[in-house]
Amino acid sequence: MTGWLKLQLRRFLTKPERMLSLLLTGVLGILVVTPLAELIRETVTVQAYDAAFLPDAERGSLTFFHYERVFASELSWAVFYKPFMHSLIIAFSVTCMGVAAGALLAWLIVRTDIPGRTALNTLVVVPYMMPSWVLALAWLTFFKNDRVAGAEGLMSYVFGVAPPDWLSYGMVPIIICLTLHYYVYAYLMISGALASVDTQLEEAGAISGLSRLRQFLLITAPLLLPAIGSAVVMTFIRVVGSFGAPAVLGLPVRFYTLPTQIYSALSSRNAGDGYLLALVMVVLAVSFIFMNSRLIGVRKSFVTLSGKGFRRRDLSLGAWRWPALFFVGVFLIVTIVAPVGLLALDSLMLEPGVYTLENLTLHYWVGDNSAEYISSEPGILRSPQIGGAVWNSLRLAFAAALFTGFMGLLIGYAVVRTRGTLVSKALENIAFTPYIFPAVALGAIYLGVFSRPIGPVPALYGTFALLVIICAIKNLPFTSRTGIAALLQIDRSLEETARVQGIGWFKRMAKIIVPVASSGLISGMLLSFITVMRELSLIILLITPSTNTLTTLVFDYQLQDLPQHVGAATVMLMLIIVGVNLAVRIFSRKSQITSI
Amino acid sequence: MTMGNTTSQRLKAVLRGAVFGVAGTMMLTGAAASADDMAAKLDAWLKQNQLGAYHAEEDWGAIIAAAKKEGEVVIYASSSQLKKVASAFMKVYPEIKVTAHKLGSEKSVEKTIREHDADIYDVDIVTTTGARSMVYEMLPNQNIINYVPSYLKSRIPEQYREPLLVRVLEGQAFIYNTEANPGGAPIKNIWELTEPKWKGHFAMKNPLSSLSTVACVMALVANSDAVADAYKKYAGKELVLSKGVKSAGYEFWKRMLANDPVIFKSGSKLAKATGKAGQKNPPVALASVHYLARNKTKGLVNAVMTKIEPAALMEYPTYTAIARFAPHPNAAKLITAFMMGSPELNANSKLVAPFDKGESAKLLQGLSSEYRIGVAPPRSDVPPHPDNGVWFEAKHLGASAEFIAKNGAKFADFWTIESSK
Repeated sequence: MTGWLKLQLRRFLTKPERMLSLLLTGVLGILVVTPLAELIRETVTVQAYDAAFLPDAERGSLTFFHYERVFASELSWAVFYKPFMHSLIIAFSVTCMGVAAGALLAWLIVRTDIPGRTALNTLVVVPYMMPSWVLALAWLTFFKNDRVAGAEGLMSYVFGVAPPDWLSYGMVPIIICLTLHYYVYAYLMISGALASVDTQLEEAGAISGLSRLRQFLLITAPLLLPAIGSAVVMTFIRVVGSFGAPAVLGLPVRFYTLPTQIYSALSSRNAGDGYLLALVMVVLAVSFIFMNSRLIGVRKSFVTLSGKGFRRRDLSLGAWRWPALFFVGVFLIVTIVAPVGLLALDSLMLEPGVYTLENLTLHYWVGDNSAEYISSEPGILRSPQIGGAVWNSLRLAFAAALFTGFMGLLIGYAVVRTRGTLVSKALENIAFTPYIFPAVALGAIYLGVFSRPIGPVPALYGTFALLVIICAIKNLPFTSRTGIAALLQIDRSLEETARVQGIGWFKRMAKIIVPVASSGLISGMLLSFITVMRELSLIILLITPSTNTLTTLVFDYQLQDLPQHVGAATVMLMLIIVGVNLAVRIFSRKSQITSI
Repeated sequence: MTMGNTTSQRLKAVLRGAVFGVAGTMMLTGAAASADDMAAKLDAWLKQNQLGAYHAEEDWGAIIAAAKKEGEVVIYASSSQLKKVASAFMKVYPEIKVTAHKLGSEKSVEKTIREHDADIYDVDIVTTTGARSMVYEMLPNQNIINYVPSYLKSRIPEQYREPLLVRVLEGQAFIYNTEANPGGAPIKNIWELTEPKWKGHFAMKNPLSSLSTVACVMALVANSDAVADAYKKYAGKELVLSKGVKSAGYEFWKRMLANDPVIFKSGSKLAKATGKAGQKNPPVALASVHYLARNKTKGLVNAVMTKIEPAALMEYPTYTAIARFAPHPNAAKLITAFMMGSPELNANSKLVAPFDKGESAKLLQGLSSEYRIGVAPPRSDVPPHPDNGVWFEAKHLGASAEFIAKNGAKFADFWTIESSK
């Protein structure tokens, strides 16, 4: 018996991936599975809100009332089916268009000799740095017609023609705004994968007589499949759970999606409806992932031997260089310059809607709140709240990004090295689960679960730690996917050579795995940083006034109808994000795609 | 890699199960005070601070001294006006720091309840609309305690201080753009809004996300008889209810929703939508009356349709109460009295603008920031604001707290169904 134990112990010590995957599964189980269980439990429990409908039922008892109400009552079309349909249509459209756009841009910037690649690489990611509803606000500023009356939209001011309702509000602008925001996922994942594909493989194909097109289809494309698959899944699920843009653009025409329905249910504390709709989203996401993993396959190996004599040659565009740059330039102007420009313009306008030079002022940046200016808030650079909010945003984003980045790498290692076992699959799926929760619902559940002491852990409500945990968990799907994708491309042989020489696990991780996977690790952490910096719906229920972040402050300004402050604070938010992004890229040579 | 080692796989499965099991049991055995403990503690606290059943005539000298020692007071408010109240208070009592968080009506309630469930007692005062939450949930569960300073008992009608003290009365009214309608209000009867002429041209706030709008919208439902009478005046015959519709109020909103109203999230944007000058065809709206103040400050041209049938103004109360186990109970009492106006204020007081300075500020105290058009204090001894004639001119309707509590959820369902057609 002791001999067997010794054997098991030795196995664990030399192959810590098993112990690691066990440990990770356990921790994630508590942080992810418990909220899910709680979610399911709440959907079959009588809630305080139900008193009007079930006057005799006791709060907390078992009931299927919510299921009946949401799926099989006269309310169901309005509460569920119609918004569900809207969510699906939007998600599919945005995923198709977003992934296509992201892939095309990735190819242009990574694999061709388009001019200004370093700059483009940074600029292309910028749209993601804005909260998604800010792009929607900019859209409204431009396309507003007299349906919402009030201050005139820029288009109608300049051209004298009011755009039609279907262009200004509802499905079309939501799809456009979300595509222009979420294509970045596809771009980041595919550019990362493209950057580590060895052109020697394609050259081998060329030598064997394959045309350029067939090289692409038979060699490059299959190698990109994991990245494309991840991009599709992420984009779809994020879009399905997106709240901001549908709220801004859908409400004036009473166009609802699942997230806006969930938010309104939970806002009026109708927990039964809210959690059940959230559960539907979870089921939807799980089905989507399942379909996706069937298509990509679990057993295929996509090892590309990176780290072992690597060469990459860029495709020459020839006469198409400058037209290609022009095309990308126009795209960037529409997605970055125009919205930011509109917001900056907003922040400088004394009276919103009057687009003249005399109406420009710096008051909302540096003014004080003296009586002649109607708003009770001083200019943002003078506002005492801003400093605290900026500091909170920064430290939350850094802490969450670091935590989630390294956890993602560990998960990637554990999943890939124990590939084919049940634990591997379980860990991969658990790590992905947080993504399925719409941010709003995850926030509400964490609020409920961690508001009470759990064994030795005190109630975390109102603490900064809870924010870090929830942001880290929410971003774990990205970083674990990135970790898995990165590790999939690192063949065992690299590690085994080290192990054979007696180098321990920690050193192997530090000296081999982390450096080789670093470009994936860093882009994962950078993405998490940006996501957390602009996070709103996830933390809005957990924020206490002392932990206010820049985004929640912007939202507050928006609610108080201070468009100038919204514009100024958002521009500031983006400057900070872009600034940190640049700093990271300068300090990390690995993320520069032009170096070898 | 070892394959098919069922023993080690089983071991792993057992370990996993054990981890989950332990986690599960830990979840269930969270520390929680028993209900009896809580009641006893609360009773002791109420006694110590002379609140609730132990309320006695205040010794303001002692309370002020104790409040200064406490040094702080925290407010969760539905309205950003509380920030102005906070500044005014800190001018008079610089030793006491006021933090007024504008959370909106629903979040003020949610945050308070959540914190109390987690045994966190950070907030002193909760002031928000929402009859169902404040009067029928938080009050009976003792998340909040009603506190009416003694000097106000004779100056506030009972309906505005029992079971909860009303801080201000506000309302939403049918408003229109005077520039585009120089001849006066474009409609005389609310039922005209169901005509094709007004399709897409009536704006309002979303009742599903605003407790104050719900109260206003339900005011018509609660007064269905008046709405039915208005229909008779409008159409010359009895109203025929659609299938499944319970009352005239519901029928009105059903037809309204079928007529493509424009739903806004922000009240101030709504006021701008009707009131901005220079528009050719602005909509009419049901909007908060206090935005009429922007006629002076932002050059809007809104006015209330005071003569519209059955009524122009839908009224709702904003309550204020002290939170359970408030960390600064004396400061809370002091600022409550401050918010409601000083004892020296009476019907003969001379109040001159600006109301936040000088003698008027001393009399009005916290009321100064609520002394504006579209807002009325519950006190019957405050001279009306010179611009607030419309409040007294227009006919009012309101829904009682009980009505809202009983019918709120069903109404929300009705709205959801009808607005999705």
